[in-house]
Amino acid sequence: MGKLFRAIGMFRRLLTMTAVIALTLFSALPGVQAAPPEGKDVLVYSWNSNMGEFNPHLYSPNQMFSQNLIYEPLVRYQADGMVAPCLAQSWSVSTDGREYTFKLRQDVRFTDGRPFNAEAVKRNIDAVLQNHQRHEWLELTNQLWKAKESGKAPATVVDEYTVRLTLHDPYYPALQELALIRPARFLSPAAMPEDGNTAKGIKEPVGTGPWKLVEAVKSEYALLERNEGYWGDKAKSKYLLIKIIPDTNARVVAFETGQIDIIYGGAGHGAGQIGLDSFERYRTMPGVVTDVSAPLATRALALNTKRFPTDDIDVRRAILLAVDRDALVKHVFLDVERKADTLFSPTMPYCDLGLKPYGFDRNEAEALLEKAGWTLADGARYRTKDGKELALDLCFAGNDTLMKSVAEVVQGDLRKVGVKVNLVGEEKDSNLARQRSGEFGMIFGNTWGAPYDPHSFVSSMRVPSHADYQAQLGLPMKADIDKAIGEVLISVDETRRRELYQYILSTLHDQAVYMPLTYMTNIMVHRDTLEGAHFGATKNEIPLETMYKR
Amino acid sequence: MTRYILKRLLLLIPILLAVSLVVFTILRLGHGDPAMAYLRLSSIPPTDQALEAARHELGLDKPFAVQYATWLGKAAHGDFGISYVTKRPVLEEILYYLPNTLILAGYSLALTLVLSLPLGMISALKKDRLPDHLTRGLSFFGVSMPNFFLGFVLIWVFSIKLGWLPPMGRGGAAHMILPILTMSCMSLCINTRLIRSTMLDNMHSRYVLYARARGLSESSVVGRHVLTNSLIPVITAIGMHAGELFGGAVIAESIFAWPGLGRYAVSAIYNRDYPVMQCFILIMTTIFVLMNLAVDIGYAWLDPRIRLQGDKQ
Repeated sequence: MGKLFRAIGMFRRLLTMTAVIALTLFSALPGVQAAPPEGKDVLVYSWNSNMGEFNPHLYSPNQMFSQNLIYEPLVRYQADGMVAPCLAQSWSVSTDGREYTFKLRQDVRFTDGRPFNAEAVKRNIDAVLQNHQRHEWLELTNQLWKAKESGKAPATVVDEYTVRLTLHDPYYPALQELALIRPARFLSPAAMPEDGNTAKGIKEPVGTGPWKLVEAVKSEYALLERNEGYWGDKAKSKYLLIKIIPDTNARVVAFETGQIDIIYGGAGHGAGQIGLDSFERYRTMPGVVTDVSAPLATRALALNTKRFPTDDIDVRRAILLAVDRDALVKHVFLDVERKADTLFSPTMPYCDLGLKPYGFDRNEAEALLEKAGWTLADGARYRTKDGKELALDLCFAGNDTLMKSVAEVVQGDLRKVGVKVNLVGEEKDSNLARQRSGEFGMIFGNTWGAPYDPHSFVSSMRVPSHADYQAQLGLPMKADIDKAIGEVLISVDETRRRELYQYILSTLHDQAVYMPLTYMTNIMVHRDTLEGAHFGATKNEIPLETMYKR
Repeated sequence: MTRYILKRLLLLIPILLAVSLVVFTILRLGHGDPAMAYLRLSSIPPTDQALEAARHELGLDKPFAVQYATWLGKAAHGDFGISYVTKRPVLEEILYYLPNTLILAGYSLALTLVLSLPLGMISALKKDRLPDHLTRGLSFFGVSMPNFFLGFVLIWVFSIKLGWLPPMGRGGAAHMILPILTMSCMSLCINTRLIRSTMLDNMHSRYVLYARARGLSESSVVGRHVLTNSLIPVITAIGMHAGELFGGAVIAESIFAWPGLGRYAVSAIYNRDYPVMQCFILIMTTIFVLMNLAVDIGYAWLDPRIRLQGDKQ
């Protein structure tokens, strides 16, 4: 009997233990928190990570699209590549191209009620320059900093609503860079720390934009409310709720169950909002509206002109001709992205140059390789010359499925003309390190998109730590290209600027340094009950203020 | 028992020291560079100057030994550094997310125990009959189903098709049902099979044959002998399931947009956020050591024949 009692006792204890665990856990059940508002007046969007502290002057973890919701620039970049007034009503540039004088709007207030004026501009520019080393990648801040170092005031209050920015050199893309989402945007001086150093943190996110922050719950959501005192067209929805959804498939589910109203952003693996296959499915779904933006940046492969065998221009040209990019666009990009014929889309400023695209012509590719002495022995799969095999490494981030698919297609197409491609899929950071060291045959590289293209991107071609610099190093005219880039950035003569861009871009095109693949676009998916949805002028500007539920 | 517990708790200190050194070394042996990851996240071109500035800012320009000593000194005072990515104190962030994961893992463990015990017993007692076939079939199916796939199937059925349960986010109890089911499925099925097979093994033991030969009733044989001997392995399995559940939490938290530690840790790994990874691994080590201790104490509590080491001394 004793054993039976013990067995029963043990079972009872086990159940007791289970019950205790369960009760303890139930008591720890998170209390029902104050739920964010719902309904017709709440536009719901989603993002894959937290918004950060909404600091206008800093980078990660602050998300660019969300900084753009709260803070505004002096001038705004437009889809046609020109800049338009925003917080500055008008501006003038001195004849030497070094001084930019802005007349500010007089009807703008920060959401804390303080006026936006020349003093606020100066305080913000000073705050940015206080940490100029963080912004060294941006030539505008370098120009302002250099001006300061040479004893000039980078930002001067002319009168209450007039401010002057002084550069060291006549740097023509200054206006484009003032339109960037960061760092030159404006926080209420009252929200700055006492010493004005915003890099150490801000008191609260107070801007002049169409939205103001209500609350941000880490890893759950950020809630913004319409800025009722906004100087421009007010947001159409009263609230904007940004749910944090890290997984692309979970985002698809959220859309289908009505948890979010719109999917907007890049498509595809990585930072994409949803996969290309999901987007393809939505294209034919009734009641759902889908759209693809104009080209925003270019997805390309850079060919190393300094390394064997791509140091031979005929080999580079043959490679460009041998890849069927139409098929790539159709089968890998599912026609969501459009085929790119040139390094920059002709819609970018100074880029409509009428360059002749490299088509798909396997015969011509083979003829070029034969001409260069690369022959295919009977029964051999790859070409050889002087006992050396025609082989090169194509390097990519191994966990990026889209890059991997493209790499495999390129490998397959080049095999057909006798070129061996070794795929080197690595960790993302290792791949970046390779771009800096130049240890690649071909490597993926995207242009930076509007408003950085083309000026910031070509500017980076002079910097040794860039894949583009490394890829171009074997060109006989590399020094001339770099010189032209240096000149184009500070040229004040529009005609000369066009000539220089013509020279730079057509030379790179003729020399077959890049294999443009597709023009990257943003995608948009929403129900047909959502009105006012359209694309922003740049990759990271999402015009959520015009959208509302019917 | 008290001495035993104290001894085990003191043992945590050298374990954590060793783990921290190993983790610190391994993380820095990799090819990647957190400064590069930081610039990539910030959309800043990785020029030499930018990299140098980022490395200096993150303290990565100092020698390895100095980095470790600095980290250890601060960690001893509860300061695990600042996240490279979020720029917030690591411990503060981890303690923000940890309770959410503990809640999911705890409920999943409770569900595993509550369901697997009766299912395993029924399956064993009704061997080769319909309940056994059903239970084994379901267990086989459940063990073979990857967590992420089950998560999406559950969402498709209960959120998209039936509209009964929310597919994501944190809110009331309804938000927890699908993630808990997703997380516990694997351990539930494994546990059910474990209980069934242990019971069946015991049922074919010589002592059971002897008990039957002595003319004891079947219920008495099962209650007295089989059940007693079959429950101990379940306790051992709980320790292992805790590990599985924390692993499963990573996936479930991503699919169900649950703001837990698993999701936070995955993004830290992806971004090479060393301070977060170090603190995360130490906390997980502590949880595992404590879980094992709890299992050992559970043994002694459930079966008084088992005495813990400390008491013997």
